[in-house]
Amino acid sequence: MTNLDHGKFTRTTTLFHSLLALDVFFLFFTGYSAMFNDELWWLLALFGGAQGVLAVHRIAGLVLIALTVFWVVMLVIGPGRQGNLREALPDFQADTAAFKQDLAFVFGQAEERHPNARQFAGHSADDVPLLSYIGKGVVWIFTVELVLLMVSGLLIWSKTGLMDVMATKAAAIAFVAFHGILGVIMLMGVMFHIFEHGFHPAFYPVELKAFIPKRDIPHSESEPAADESVTGIERLTLRPSWTWASSLAGVATVIGIVSVLVASIVDSGYPIPSELTVGGGATSLLLTVGVNVGILVLFVGLLLSVYGNVLRARYEAQRHGQTEPTAGHDTTDD
Amino acid sequence: MTDATSVRRDDRGLSETTAVLISAVVGILVALGSLVVVQGFGVFYETLNRVGPTVDAGGVGTEWVAGASEPMLALVIKLLHVADLLMGLFILLMLFVHWGAFRRIAERMQPAADRPTATDGWTTPSEDDANRGDAG
Repeated sequence: MTNLDHGKFTRTTTLFHSLLALDVFFLFFTGYSAMFNDELWWLLALFGGAQGVLAVHRIAGLVLIALTVFWVVMLVIGPGRQGNLREALPDFQADTAAFKQDLAFVFGQAEERHPNARQFAGHSADDVPLLSYIGKGVVWIFTVELVLLMVSGLLIWSKTGLMDVMATKAAAIAFVAFHGILGVIMLMGVMFHIFEHGFHPAFYPVELKAFIPKRDIPHSESEPAADESVTGIERLTLRPSWTWASSLAGVATVIGIVSVLVASIVDSGYPIPSELTVGGGATSLLLTVGVNVGILVLFVGLLLSVYGNVLRARYEAQRHGQTEPTAGHDTTDD
Repeated sequence: MTDATSVRRDDRGLSETTAVLISAVVGILVALGSLVVVQGFGVFYETLNRVGPTVDAGGVGTEWVAGASEPMLALVIKLLHVADLLMGLFILLMLFVHWGAFRRIAERMQPAADRPTATDGWTTPSEDDANRGDAG
């Protein structure tokens, strides 16, 4: 069992997060195996080849629309959700300060991360907001991205139909390119998200507050000892594999982000390139390896999401058969 | 306190379950409605324009004889590449910031029981820290 920390989210939110993640992974695997089909031929074959891959992509796209609209309606009518929406609004002063303090923390110029940046709350749970400055950025960037991707995705649902609307075939081609190039920001962002929440030393290998609802996590009200840090993180034990695993994941994430970025520029929206490239897009071996490493990072994310739910189920079963709850900060072994 | 327990205390009348059900129905209806709209575009003609990307010199969309040739739309594609590049660099910066922060945080934690020695620049806690005991 990993470290629990304080819970933040309701059961609806945690289940929604898992479903959205699963759907977005399917959209990435299918969409980018079409766009980077020179590099990801195996993934394309895995999802049913040229015909099948786009059929799966369309089904996942419709599910994304349903999930997104579900969440928007929940934010409007769900009990207490409007307050949460206010919590997600950027606080430019505090969030900028959190970013600056993060930089200072990395270089040893600050003792703690800013409350608006802190992932492990520990004793400082009362100071830590619902979303960190990164969390807010993720929410808003993904919101804008998802809206643009859904609109452009619906527009290119039928190229022949789009040609009727846009008058030319070239315009339809451009919209396909928009769709693929726009998604690259999300693709890179999700790789970072996997690293951020899978490899925090206190939570590694998965941040369970994204899976276990707040109401199911016991809270310790103990005050920090005089010689402890603000969060009390020094009481936690680091898992033996964290050092090499986080280094490996960090390197893979950097390679993945750089590679999909370069590949998207080299291919310039392939399968519909800005200039017709006979024989496909990039053929660089390095780029092929890099893009595949990026996809590997996404597979790790999918695995961690499933693992988080397995841990949640196991935790719920343990709690069910237990009369006395354990303390929230304790580290227990699997 | 900015936690999600406020959700439970809200008493505007609508329960979480009802809100979830209403939202789910609306979400599914909008998704199906959007499908009906785009189906009107004539989606089935599209399959005629596709070849298998694994065939020789073929790829999804290679039946198109020209790329995006509209100058305005080509410009938008270039702008999107610039947006990707800027966001990519920013995401990389955030990645390195978090990677560095995680290493600093890890230094404060109790070392793993079966990994007592530092082999890669690892800073082990002081004797006092070690004597304080393991929380788990």
